[in-house]
Amino acid sequence: MTGRAPTLAEAAHPFTGFAVTLAITLLAFLLPAPWGPTLLYAIVLLLVMAAGVGRAARAAALICLPLWGFLFLLHAVLGGGAHLSIGPIAVSRHGLELALAQAARLGAVITATLALVRSFNPSRFLDAVGVRGWPFAPAYLLVATLQAAPRLRERVGRILEAQRTRGLNYHGSILVRIRAVLPLALPLILGALTEVDDRAMALDIRAVNSGRQRTPLSIPVDHPADRIVRWSSLLLVVAAAAWRLAGSMR
Amino acid sequence: MPLAVAINVAMSFLVNQLGLPVYLDTVGTVLTAVLVGPLAGAVVGALSQALIALQVGTFMLAFIPIQVLIALLAGLAAWRAGFASPGRAIGWGLLVGALAGGSSSVISYWVFAGVTATGVTAITTLLRGLGLTQVQSIVFSSIGTDLLDKTLVFLLVALVLSRFPQRLLGRFPLAARALGR
Repeated sequence: MTGRAPTLAEAAHPFTGFAVTLAITLLAFLLPAPWGPTLLYAIVLLLVMAAGVGRAARAAALICLPLWGFLFLLHAVLGGGAHLSIGPIAVSRHGLELALAQAARLGAVITATLALVRSFNPSRFLDAVGVRGWPFAPAYLLVATLQAAPRLRERVGRILEAQRTRGLNYHGSILVRIRAVLPLALPLILGALTEVDDRAMALDIRAVNSGRQRTPLSIPVDHPADRIVRWSSLLLVVAAAAWRLAGSMR
Repeated sequence: MPLAVAINVAMSFLVNQLGLPVYLDTVGTVLTAVLVGPLAGAVVGALSQALIALQVGTFMLAFIPIQVLIALLAGLAAWRAGFASPGRAIGWGLLVGALAGGSSSVISYWVFAGVTATGVTAITTLLRGLGLTQVQSIVFSSIGTDLLDKTLVFLLVALVLSRFPQRLLGRFPLAARALGR
């Protein structure tokens, strides 16, 4: 065996990452703004680094940058209400708080999601579903979808190249580009539909519809630490929701 | 279903490559609703949104109801022969665009404070800069982009159906009805 040792995120039980990401998403909207989401984002950054998926934080920041810019422009610069001066520009105080809270929410959720995707192992996930005795079809649907999307995206690149060599122009005015959609989309869609038969047959051969419980090849270990993390995530969400509810009834 | 979801993702990638100001990320949803039925279309829509959420952040799951709405309306359009001619497809596309755009503007306002992970935010900011209120900017930009997008999606699906191999069309009675046959 060669290769690096699995990171903490990769070694964790496949359900743990999903539970934590879902909890972070809910907490981002339940915690009081603007400091709750900001603190949550800071914690998420520390967590992904500790879990060995720190590169997800950088990728998430790249996605977030234009969104943070729009938030600042839309709410702080163009927002109403009392204004305060930051250097040469006057910004809305309420808008700035709103932009900060929403920016932190986006940062926390996108970072957690990308960390989950980077540590996700489809076959371990299917094995974990099999061990629990949960229905195979929905889990397969999720995994097959995750695998089909990049394949079809790659096919788009090949169709673009093929149609260009046949003389299709897809650069220029918007009308030229709209006109190019059809000769590019038709081979993609019709090609995908003709693939359906092959895939259905492959699933039948593997007895997917037999209804019997599947035997996992290797059982993912559900450590006590995994269970503690999952239950703690649930408890945190329930506590935050109860706190928020109590606050709104006061 | 995974292939229909992948069509949504691939179409979205294609319009990005062409630099068009639309999404076309519901082509697979509408196509499935027309071929198999609105419930299957709704599952494809929900899965597509889940896949988008895994790429850009789980908060995008908030738009699942819009995908479901589009699938249900596409099923209705198929039942009423809404893909029998380009004119009918454009009409249904405009109707679905108005309803989907109006509904997604509510989600965009309450969940995202008007800033979503799509190009529609640039239009919202532009309208706000022109003096419209925040709510007006979000509603107009959302409905405007969805009108164009869903019209193109419905037109594209109508064209795909009209060129569908007869051998395949025979297996999908709803699709034959959608084409008015």
